[in-house]
Amino acid sequence: MGVAAETVSGWSRRRPLTWRRVGAASVPYLLVAPVVAVLGAILGYPIYSLVRLSFEKYGLFELIRHAGVDIGLANYRSVLHDTVFWHTLLRTVVFTVANVGLTIVLGTLLALLLVRVSGWVRLLLTAGLVLVWSMPQVVAVQVWYWMTNVQNGVVNYVLSELHLGNFFQHNWYATPFSQLAMVTTLIVWGALPFVAITLYAALSQVPRELVEAAEMDGARGWRVFKDVTLPIITPVLLILTSLSILWDFGVFTQPYLLIGQAHVNPSNYLMAIYLFEQGWFASDFGRGAAISLLMLVIVAALSVVYVRRMVRIGDEPA
Amino acid sequence: MSVRVLRRGTWNAVGVVLFVVMVFPVFWMISTAFKPEDQINGVNPTWFPGHPTLQHFRDAIAKPFFWTDVKNSVIVVLATVGIAMALAFLAAVALAKYRFTGRKLFIVIVIGVQMIPGVGLIIPLYVLLARYHQVNVLSGVVIVYVCATLPFCVWTLRGFIIGIPKDLEEAAMVDGSTRLGAFARILLPLVAPGLVATSVFAFITSWNEYIYARVLLNDGAKQTLTVWLSYFLGTSRNTDWGALMAASTLTAIPVVIFFLLVQRKIAFGLTAGAVRG
Amino acid sequence: MRSRALVATLAVVALGVVAATANAGANRAQANKLTVWLQVDAQSGWPDVVAAANQQFQQQNPGWTVDVQYQNWGDHLQKFDATLAGGTTPDVIEMGNTEMTKYMAAGAFADLTSNKSKFENSGTWLSGLAKSGQYQGKVYGVPYYAGSRVVTYRTDLFKKAGITKAPTSLEQFMADAQKVAAANKGVKGFTPVYLAGTDWYSALSFVYDFGGSIATTHAGKWQGALGSKASVAGLNAFKQFFSSTAPASAATLDEAHPAPYDVFSQGRAAAIFGPGWYSCCVGTKYKSVTAQFVMPSHVDGQPMPGFLGGSDLAVPAPSKSQAQAIQWIADFTSTTSEKALQAKGNIPNATNLLGTSVNERAAARSWFVPAAKHWVDVENGNILRNMLAQILTGKLSVQQAASSASDNIASVLNQP
Repeated sequence: MGVAAETVSGWSRRRPLTWRRVGAASVPYLLVAPVVAVLGAILGYPIYSLVRLSFEKYGLFELIRHAGVDIGLANYRSVLHDTVFWHTLLRTVVFTVANVGLTIVLGTLLALLLVRVSGWVRLLLTAGLVLVWSMPQVVAVQVWYWMTNVQNGVVNYVLSELHLGNFFQHNWYATPFSQLAMVTTLIVWGALPFVAITLYAALSQVPRELVEAAEMDGARGWRVFKDVTLPIITPVLLILTSLSILWDFGVFTQPYLLIGQAHVNPSNYLMAIYLFEQGWFASDFGRGAAISLLMLVIVAALSVVYVRRMVRIGDEPA
Repeated sequence: MSVRVLRRGTWNAVGVVLFVVMVFPVFWMISTAFKPEDQINGVNPTWFPGHPTLQHFRDAIAKPFFWTDVKNSVIVVLATVGIAMALAFLAAVALAKYRFTGRKLFIVIVIGVQMIPGVGLIIPLYVLLARYHQVNVLSGVVIVYVCATLPFCVWTLRGFIIGIPKDLEEAAMVDGSTRLGAFARILLPLVAPGLVATSVFAFITSWNEYIYARVLLNDGAKQTLTVWLSYFLGTSRNTDWGALMAASTLTAIPVVIFFLLVQRKIAFGLTAGAVRG
Repeated sequence: MRSRALVATLAVVALGVVAATANAGANRAQANKLTVWLQVDAQSGWPDVVAAANQQFQQQNPGWTVDVQYQNWGDHLQKFDATLAGGTTPDVIEMGNTEMTKYMAAGAFADLTSNKSKFENSGTWLSGLAKSGQYQGKVYGVPYYAGSRVVTYRTDLFKKAGITKAPTSLEQFMADAQKVAAANKGVKGFTPVYLAGTDWYSALSFVYDFGGSIATTHAGKWQGALGSKASVAGLNAFKQFFSSTAPASAATLDEAHPAPYDVFSQGRAAAIFGPGWYSCCVGTKYKSVTAQFVMPSHVDGQPMPGFLGGSDLAVPAPSKSQAQAIQWIADFTSTTSEKALQAKGNIPNATNLLGTSVNERAAARSWFVPAAKHWVDVENGNILRNMLAQILTGKLSVQQAASSASDNIASVLNQP
């Protein structure tokens, strides 16, 4: 084959090599060209300069003069020798696993519930999910903070009224664990609609006859789910999981705003905040670039299984 | 009462409880927005505004640049959605219907782009945009948002296009039209739900984005709504919770409207895109 | 060739849209435009003063326009960094006085030394504020306004507890607070004083009151001073004051969340210690029964030294309109402007303009952070806040927490 591209359905193969065919061969390249051009034009240079920056001493002084000093691997060495980095990495991995796990499990349960409830409840729940989904992050953080504030947060009031303990002036942000737990509830709450609605749609494509047949064979609950439903929704789960990993590992807005600048410190850093504090706030942009690239490598490693499956899926044209 | 009815009743009850818990923050935001000051500050919370007031909404709208920034947000979102959809659609067609060298690389790029930490890229991106006078103008923000939404859009749209039955395509080809002509006339309408679903994602992402807009736009008259909202928190003085919640409600409304318009199609669309992967 | 044509058309359309939006937005930086970054405080507090300065400037410079862009304290430095990198800095920028040194040291600002005489009252600038805008003997920042810290209190509650005059010593204040607490036992969640535990501006006032300090220089090296005897005595006094007057639940809170005036306006506190403008936001219900007094020292009759907050105006070095920028700053810090700022409850930038308000009396004794280029990293690293939380929650003894914070601070300040 002298041409690089080949249409899949085979009808072109039957025709002789003509200009028309060469033209057809170039079609896919022309189609992806705009996307490649835009991504390349906009991200190409910044990524290149990020890589270059990571090998330079680049502080405020250098920033103003637009010129860094080459220092080889010093930035990487300093990051990799920083115990805060390793603690933050570990914390972020645990945080990501918890957030992604909760999001996916709760989202699946919610989707399964949507299949089982009556029509009006489904409508109600969907409307609720849509409302939640439509809250901008900045807004959600404010509302969340307002509900959990120490002085007259409604959460403390409700929990006290329900006699679940004395939550009068309970500070939900007292320890790193509780701070991150609050961030987790906020993130999972915000991510549920996307996951639940998508999964519900996937579930509604599971043929009813299949489920009924399985039930007729005596299979129940969990087995039906595992043998009939799960295989069908696996591709969706895969995509949702890998997207959630990407988003949660690099999450910045919610923890930064909810915990607040005054309370962000090495005991509750997540990777993106570590990057922001040590790269930007401390005006050590070279080090920040090194942290960015390390994050990229780590998240790639973390999601390699998913990405490979996605690439394989994506590689099968219709 | 049969077991089946009983079971459905239980599920319904669970569903209603979940609805209440989930929607509570939204309710609280709206309810606070209508409460007079003393109810907001009360030691014990008031569930519903006793004497609902529109004062907070008036205060919020009276803040400088509200309407201008609404307009800016709309422009940014429409431009982002339009451009991202057009570009992503073309690439998705290539991914779904053609096999070509470099295909795998393209997929890896599309997924890999999403892994770059956004916070780390701000300064390099700013430098690039400043060089081409794209700072403090809406088009600079649009460029960034297009980049941010493209990968997801390409990926999702690909799933939709792949799901189109081959016989339809071939039927189109028999009438002598070319492959792309067929796409345009017959397939485009079929992909419409997918385009809608994907554009919802692009819409929400660009409507809600805050960090890049904050850094790239300086003029009050050139900012987006989320940046405008952040000014409620930026002053070192008095946080006006009522006005903040009113402003938040206003910011969320367009998304809700958009959602209600396309909700049915999303639910169908997202799956079609994903399942057929 | 129809397929190719179609693809090409689609591609051209798509790119055309990009180009169109790009062109529509690319209105080049206008000539004769002065870009000014002020904090939102000016937008919400004194827009008229800004407008007056702009008008004056435009009269002096016909054909020029002033574009005032309001910023947030939370992220204005990040935005400024981006503009420094991109070469798109504003012509004038308002900086918090604790933020100046790092940027002066890096060469971010134009040297204004030879222009000092152009600014009214520059001979009598408040020394604390003026110092924050100077580095190695050169002037980079023009004092804009200052703010001191006072006690905002409920006159009705103090009267009800039988207190007739404002306390003149720390000891007396604590005794008064006990009386107020006793008179309001029935009010749920009531506290005589509300103070956020990690509010280091307040806590460090105690340290300076007892003769301590944060850090000192010796032979060009910074040495942490929080572990010293005097500093520890101050921290102990703070701990005692906090535990006897303020709610224990606030030990790990900061002064922004919740804002002390919110607690005050909910009727849960009889007094709050903080910036003078706290009186703005005590709620309509208590406006008429709110007054302020100077925070008393442990030495009877003296004010406790308060943190002198404030802002400077600087001209970023890359600005191409420096002469105009200087002119605008001169207009904005003129006697007329400063008097107008004073009328809004701020402290004007020069001693000859000072009045006798509580705010201004409190400024008689003040302290300021070490003038080190890495100070801002100490602040952003929350070292002081962590120390205070450790002390107030009893995790560490005062001496332990202070010494470790002190070492920490020294190592940050001595970075190259």
